Amino acid sequence: MLRVENLTKVYPNGTVALKDVTFQVEDGEFLAVIGLSGSGKSTLLRCINRLIEPTSGKIFWDGIDVTAASPNEMRKIRRQMGFIFQQFNLVKRSNVITNVLTGRLGYVGSAQSLANLFSKHDHDLALKNLERLGLKEKAYVRADSLSGGQQQRVGIARALMQEPKLILADEPVASLDPVLSHSILKYLEQLNKEDGLTVLCSLHFLDLVHRYATRAIALKDGKLVFEGLPEAIDDAEFKAIYGQDAQRVSII
Amino acid sequence: MSAQTSNSRTTKNPLLAPLFSLIVPGAGQLYLGAREAGSAILVATVVLALLIQFTSEVLRIAVIETAFFKTSWLWFLLALFWLWNVFDAYRRARGLSASRVFGFAVPILIIYILAWQVTGVDFTRLVTRFDDVKYIFNALLHPDFFTRDTEQQSGWVTIQVPCSPTVPPPPPEYSGFPVRIDRACGTVGDPLTMTGEGFLPTTSGNVYWLEYDGTNEAQVRMNDAPVVITTDANGQFTSQFNIPSFAARDGLDPDNPVVQAVEARFVQEVGPPKPSENFHILIGSIAQEPAPAWMVNLGLVAPDATVPRIVPGGIWVTIALGLMATFISVAVAAPLSFLGARNIMARVRGGTVIYYVTRAIFNFVRSVDTLIWAIILVTWTGLGAFTGLLALSIHSIAAVAKLYSEEVEHIDEGPVEATTAAGGTTLQSVRFAVIPQIIPSFLAYSLLRWDINMRSATIVGFVSAAGIGFYIFEAIRKGGYQEYAAALWAIAIVVMIVDFVSSIWRERILHGERRAAATPQDLQAPPKPFYKTRRGILYTVIFIIVFIISWNLSEINLEKLLEPAPTLGSVIYDYITIDTSVEVWRAILRQILVTIFQALLATTLGAIVAIPFAFLAAKNITGRARGTAWIYYAARFVLNFLRSIEAFLYVAIFVFWVGVGAFAGMLALAVTTFGLIGKLFSEAVENIEEGPVEAVTATGANRLQTIAFAVLPQIVPPFISYSIYQWDINIRMATIIGFAGGGGIGLLFQNYVGQLQYHKAGAVILAIVVVVTIMDLASAKIRHRLV
Ligand SMILES: Nc1ncnc2c1ncn2[C@@H]1O[C@H](COP(=O)(O)OP(=O)(O)O)[C@@H](O)[C@H]1O
Ligand SMILES: [Mg+2]
Repeated sequence: MLRVENLTKVYPNGTVALKDVTFQVEDGEFLAVIGLSGSGKSTLLRCINRLIEPTSGKIFWDGIDVTAASPNEMRKIRRQMGFIFQQFNLVKRSNVITNVLTGRLGYVGSAQSLANLFSKHDHDLALKNLERLGLKEKAYVRADSLSGGQQQRVGIARALMQEPKLILADEPVASLDPVLSHSILKYLEQLNKEDGLTVLCSLHFLDLVHRYATRAIALKDGKLVFEGLPEAIDDAEFKAIYGQDAQRVSII
Repeated sequence: MSAQTSNSRTTKNPLLAPLFSLIVPGAGQLYLGAREAGSAILVATVVLALLIQFTSEVLRIAVIETAFFKTSWLWFLLALFWLWNVFDAYRRARGLSASRVFGFAVPILIIYILAWQVTGVDFTRLVTRFDDVKYIFNALLHPDFFTRDTEQQSGWVTIQVPCSPTVPPPPPEYSGFPVRIDRACGTVGDPLTMTGEGFLPTTSGNVYWLEYDGTNEAQVRMNDAPVVITTDANGQFTSQFNIPSFAARDGLDPDNPVVQAVEARFVQEVGPPKPSENFHILIGSIAQEPAPAWMVNLGLVAPDATVPRIVPGGIWVTIALGLMATFISVAVAAPLSFLGARNIMARVRGGTVIYYVTRAIFNFVRSVDTLIWAIILVTWTGLGAFTGLLALSIHSIAAVAKLYSEEVEHIDEGPVEATTAAGGTTLQSVRFAVIPQIIPSFLAYSLLRWDINMRSATIVGFVSAAGIGFYIFEAIRKGGYQEYAAALWAIAIVVMIVDFVSSIWRERILHGERRAAATPQDLQAPPKPFYKTRRGILYTVIFIIVFIISWNLSEINLEKLLEPAPTLGSVIYDYITIDTSVEVWRAILRQILVTIFQALLATTLGAIVAIPFAFLAAKNITGRARGTAWIYYAARFVLNFLRSIEAFLYVAIFVFWVGVGAFAGMLALAVTTFGLIGKLFSEAVENIEEGPVEAVTATGANRLQTIAFAVLPQIVPPFISYSIYQWDINIRMATIIGFAGGGGIGLLFQNYVGQLQYHKAGAVILAIVVVVTIMDLASAKIRHRLV
């Protein structure tokens, strides 16, 4: 279970990206985070695994205070949270399997991994995850020779290497076209339904939220302005989240 | 509306601005809110005033003297600039602008007048000394690489000098090949006909006048030129000349005549050309040595046999130094560069401080030229190739590390974030997210550095007394310009090859196609790591061999580092406790000015000459058409050849031509500048886009208009940008050109070191670092704005 309490983030330049955000995610949920661009979605997700240091507030993961964790404890917490990035964040010149194996770094000792020595178990796991995402035959090609959708699947395989309990996905489909968006989100749905992973996913388009999320929260200017079922976002709520001029659009 | 716009103007009084500018230049502009123009004018005025004051006081430049006062006429130009500034403020206050051309032209004019005088430019010397310099050019075209065996044919006959009424001439004696003369006695100036036969047909020789005992001789000359005798098809010759004044050596006493001799001498080259002594020194030779014990023990050779051994010449030592310095600097700079990378250091506690300190050290070390480092290091490790290697490496480490650091700072942060999110440590992030990204650019910079180190290695021997630089130094001292020429050719060939290889490899690394997609069965298994492939093994073996050979040739001797001269400590202390006396700094300021101005003039001269060449050497202008392709290749070759030789090595030619001093150094710098900048310019011409040309032509513009509106705007900014960049490079080179007689700050440094006044030498280094750093920053800033 993940609990975020009174989370506030002020960037060094004074931007208040999150203001007193409180919510809770139950195990097995697929929680969508929605909001305009600049509303604080990325900041929120990155605060949860402390890629960004929160300014104040607390985050509890399975009862452990993440905000108070030491670097070593943080390493252990992070490996339970797989992160999927909008820009994939692959090392383009490395081959696919090396990229996937980096998802295992939280488990291996420094000395061992620096020599690029991953165990046979890790290699097999990497191949298994790639197979699951339909990329087994691409294991030894360079990452930049893949298409955008394939690169995001590598990103998911990398997150799976952590054997996570929670997936944090920051607009995982914003760089992809609509058809690929569905294919990627279906993988996340599968992980959520079959493997029982908790998913916290920020999304830009409301119809994707309707289709995949079990629950949604909405941010506006860093404040939590909605928490509830996706179906509960009616026209009034919509205008409150996206502003008066916004129009509902569907991407397929 | 109109009220609003005029409102913003009426808040500032239009008469106040010119008044302010009259009192303090630039103040009016600042008052009007034109911050950049205002501060530029203020700074320009102050700098120019200081320059005029200093140069007229200390260097007596542009001084006019009357009975009542003594001043510099440049003040008049500065006053013009001042007036312009007042006018500009006035115009600006009315929302107009004054001519910017004038505002730029006057300061530039002042600068160039000063530069001209400070550098001691004297182009008439180039002309008046031209005849003497032909000798050097002849030597340059006839480098001493090969010789042939010679064979001499000669014959002489005696003659009595002078004729005597008392002593009849003795019967002539003959020796060697048969020669005759038509008189038995004579005095200086008497005409004489000499005949001979039996010599090789159709060859040329000379005539010599000998004392009878043969101790002294002189070539016979007529009309200021040696008398040349030429045999016909039968090997006979006839020649007429006058008895030379040399014949009067023993006195011209008719009562005491002496017997002297006339000799016809033909020296003929025979046999095939063979490597000259100079070739052996430069390129190498094969020596016979007693066989080593292990060969004898194995029964390979007889106990007293000799075996051949290759003795590499100076050029190989130079190549080895360039390679070793590159290996060392890459190996050391790669880890260091992370300390100088802001993004990595931000992740480490206290890292920002480390970052600033590291960058400052990099900047300091690379501002000081390799040769200066060599001079400093000689105190530690003595003369020899090893000291040259250390100097090359130190400078190279700092220069490469700075580039590497910038490359680390420019990586894509995404993968770093991803490894961190997966629970990776900072070290793991570096290993898996940073290193894979930086490898290609690191390799490219290393190759570029190899090229630069190769060039520096050709001159470092000047100080460390090893390698080709030392050899050149010796050749020039002995006046052996053919030997010098041979060294230049050898260097040019090696550097051109390195330049070519390095640029091809760089191109392949940075823009090469990704490896073709692997075949399906390859995809099932991980590819073999590179070092296990056949090519990988071959490269590794080659690398190891090259490394070992280079190691040996560079005379690496780490023990030397541990046993410095006992005075080292006090020398370092002296260097650090910098001299602050006014006289020293006045001398430094003076020489720094020479250095800056000489670099400025060299850049200007080189760039002006390079402009027409750039068009000749541009593929899209001359390279495509059949008829003109040879022009393209010839121009390219000239540029490549000239820039492959460091300006430092050209100084000798110009010292011979125009004498020791800043002018000679300036000309030497201009030659290399011409080569370097000509290449950059020609690339700018090659990059001209056809689109605008087409568009302007389509409007019905004629050719001249097309060039003015579509071509010039495309090439003028890069030309200016490259020229400023080159000025920056030239200042660095000009700091050492004094070692070779080219004037400037280098000479001062050498003098101080020679007098063991290290605290003064330390002051010179500080001044160099300051000037080079300022130029570096300024040039980067200006170029950034131009692009
Ligand atoms: N590193 C940063 N420094 C300063 N401000 C930032 C930084 N990153 C994001 N912001 C600001 O914080 C706010 C929230 O940004 P972000 O979390 O990226 O929103 P979203 O992901 O919803 O588009 C925005 O106003 C953004 O400009
Ligand atoms: Mg975002």
